[in-house]
Amino acid sequence: MHGALSVAALTLAVAVAVPAGQGGESASISGHVKLTRTRGTPLPSNIYQPRAVGNRSAELPPEIKSVVVYLAGVTFRGALPVSHPAIRQEHEEFMPRVVAITRGSTVDFPNADMIFHNVFSLSGAATFDLGRFPKGQSRSATFTKAGLVKVYCHLHSHMSASILVLDHPYFAIPDLDGSFTLPTVPRGTYKVVGWHERVGERSAIVEVQAGRSASVELVLPVEDSR
Amino acid sequence: MLPQPPRLIVKTLAVTFVTAVLLLVVTFVVVIVIVREQVRASVAANLESSQRMFAAIESRERRELQAQAATVAESPTLKAALDTYAAESRFGNEVVREQLLNTMTRELDKVAARVEADAIVVVDHDQTALAAAGPLADRWPPGRRVASVEASKISDAFDGVVHIENRTFSVVSVPLLLGDGTSIGALYLATSLDRRYAQKLAELARTHTVIVSNGLVVASTLSHDTERQVESLVSTLSTGAGAIELNGESHAFRRLVQVGDTGFYALASIDESARGATTAIMRTLVWIAIGAMSFALLGSIWLANLLSEPIGRLSSSLKAMARSRDFDARVPLTGSSRELDALTETFNRLMASVSAAEAQTEAAYTGAIRALAAALDARDPYTAGHSERVSVLSIGIGRALNLPADDLEVLRLGALLHDIGKIGVPDDVLRKPSALTAAEYDAIKQHPVLGARILRPIPFLSRHIPIVELHHERPDGRGYPHGLHGEDIPLPARIVHVADAYDAMTSARAYRKALPASEAFRELWRCAGTQFHAEIVGALTTALSGVPAATGAPILEAVSA
Repeated sequence: MHGALSVAALTLAVAVAVPAGQGGESASISGHVKLTRTRGTPLPSNIYQPRAVGNRSAELPPEIKSVVVYLAGVTFRGALPVSHPAIRQEHEEFMPRVVAITRGSTVDFPNADMIFHNVFSLSGAATFDLGRFPKGQSRSATFTKAGLVKVYCHLHSHMSASILVLDHPYFAIPDLDGSFTLPTVPRGTYKVVGWHERVGERSAIVEVQAGRSASVELVLPVEDSR
Repeated sequence: MLPQPPRLIVKTLAVTFVTAVLLLVVTFVVVIVIVREQVRASVAANLESSQRMFAAIESRERRELQAQAATVAESPTLKAALDTYAAESRFGNEVVREQLLNTMTRELDKVAARVEADAIVVVDHDQTALAAAGPLADRWPPGRRVASVEASKISDAFDGVVHIENRTFSVVSVPLLLGDGTSIGALYLATSLDRRYAQKLAELARTHTVIVSNGLVVASTLSHDTERQVESLVSTLSTGAGAIELNGESHAFRRLVQVGDTGFYALASIDESARGATTAIMRTLVWIAIGAMSFALLGSIWLANLLSEPIGRLSSSLKAMARSRDFDARVPLTGSSRELDALTETFNRLMASVSAAEAQTEAAYTGAIRALAAALDARDPYTAGHSERVSVLSIGIGRALNLPADDLEVLRLGALLHDIGKIGVPDDVLRKPSALTAAEYDAIKQHPVLGARILRPIPFLSRHIPIVELHHERPDGRGYPHGLHGEDIPLPARIVHVADAYDAMTSARAYRKALPASEAFRELWRCAGTQFHAEIVGALTTALSGVPAATGAPILEAVSA
């Protein structure tokens, strides 16, 4: 599987362009993430397809929304801005599946289904169990430690979500077309990482010059979601 | 006396025994071959039904295991721990990962007791074992990558076979899935393919079972040595069904199922299955053999007796006949078989014609001799009929002495011939009316020896010769030609001597008249003891008593009567 994935090429094209009308000591990094479809080998198993649970009529979110682009090895000084996103529990799925936040942010988990749900995590960055709650109610969790927090529902074993907690605000989830723009960063050389919860990550080194916005193209293999 | 070739009984026994043994051996071989053929077919049929049963049972067991596995695979904690463990490889620390592994192991431990598997294992999407529980969990150490799970191609009885840590497991696997069908790993329910498993299989199939992987016996219900033999015959086993030779016995085998490199075989000894039937047949045949042999023995003894007993009787009567020279006796019919009776009858007929011919020959001889004697008597008118008369008188004496018929017959002919030697005495001496000179008397005295010499070449007259030769011997030893004494003189010769003298005295001669019987008897009695034997004279007296004192024919008639 990994072997199969490694066949996929990571093309990293770093184009440096001078952004119009920008100057000073900082510039932004923008770019494009491309998920190529690669074939994975399924595990040997011949019977018992996954159990069909409920009426999962909701369309699965596009895979590009499971990608987070962020800078690695960056230290941020000053007050870290916080956000307050929500991960809905709907059609026995966490929506969205991937959320990126800064440390100290709080995530709400509203239940939109007609059934009880639960939220728990076994991750090192945050271990919690928010208990069971019915439709209309919401629980929230505040993440005080950077890392990857995997969230599951104890009632529905197939439900999962990833919350990437970062120490800095230099991250973005690409648009549907794969384009992204990171917040402006000081001049310097950065490592841009494109991360997907299943496929893994690809990185590129970007040199950011004053007044010139850098552009990055990341190609990620992803499992063939059949 | 005993015949040199083997006795009839030996031959009949040999023939019947050989026939019986041959028949039994052929029967035995044919029956054994047929039995073996049938046993082979039934063993093969058994194996085939074993295969079907095995497939059905295993299929059901696998389904149960898969159901169990699928249920366990729905454990949220297990999935969360596994997925988080994978995520922590990038963003977390080892302590957390260790905790997650423990979480998984605990989850597995909870269900291990309720799952019919030797090990329940979680592998990640890379097929690396992460956590295991169950009796053989130690064979699945964390971090150990499972080489491959060979998916079954023949039936759905097995998901696959895994070789790990010198063990071979049959594995049922279900994927651990998250919402969008993402596989984060798999759950294995592993059953060790060991001797215990082979025995369980063997109990179902009621045969030996062998599990062969990559040309090696992984597990079996056979002995270690036999397993080595099986390994040398793997190429034959791979044909699926047939027969192989193990420990000198023919075994039928059938592949129950093949999963990847691993084959499951049922083995059954044809010889062992046939042994019971063969023993029963052998036992029956032994009894039949004993019976047949007894029958053959009795039958051949009876048959041999049927032939040899009458033949023995026939030959002993022949022997007796030959000894007694009694060719008139007839061999009695045995009545045992037509052929033997025909032989006996032919023989009797032959003997009848032989004795008839002999009688004819004897009659011819006797006639010739009688003619000779008559011719002799005719030379001298005074001695005419002398020989006939002496013969009749001698028989009379013999009868008085109670001699057997055989002796009387010899006496009759011997007396008839007693003076045959006088052929060699010249007529002038014989018929001389005056006294004889000494030389002439010597010539006369030669006639007994002469007579004996004449008769000697005739074989059947051998018993008569002593009469001819010795009829002038006297008890006092003064007779001629040998001067024998008393008891040395044979009885017939004594009788003829007395009869001769009596007839001579009661016949007329040229030189005297015939003496009356009384005078002759007086003379005889006077010389009894010296010239004549007294008991013979007595016998003559008895023979002629009551006969009128006369000479000639009347006396003869009286004696003959």
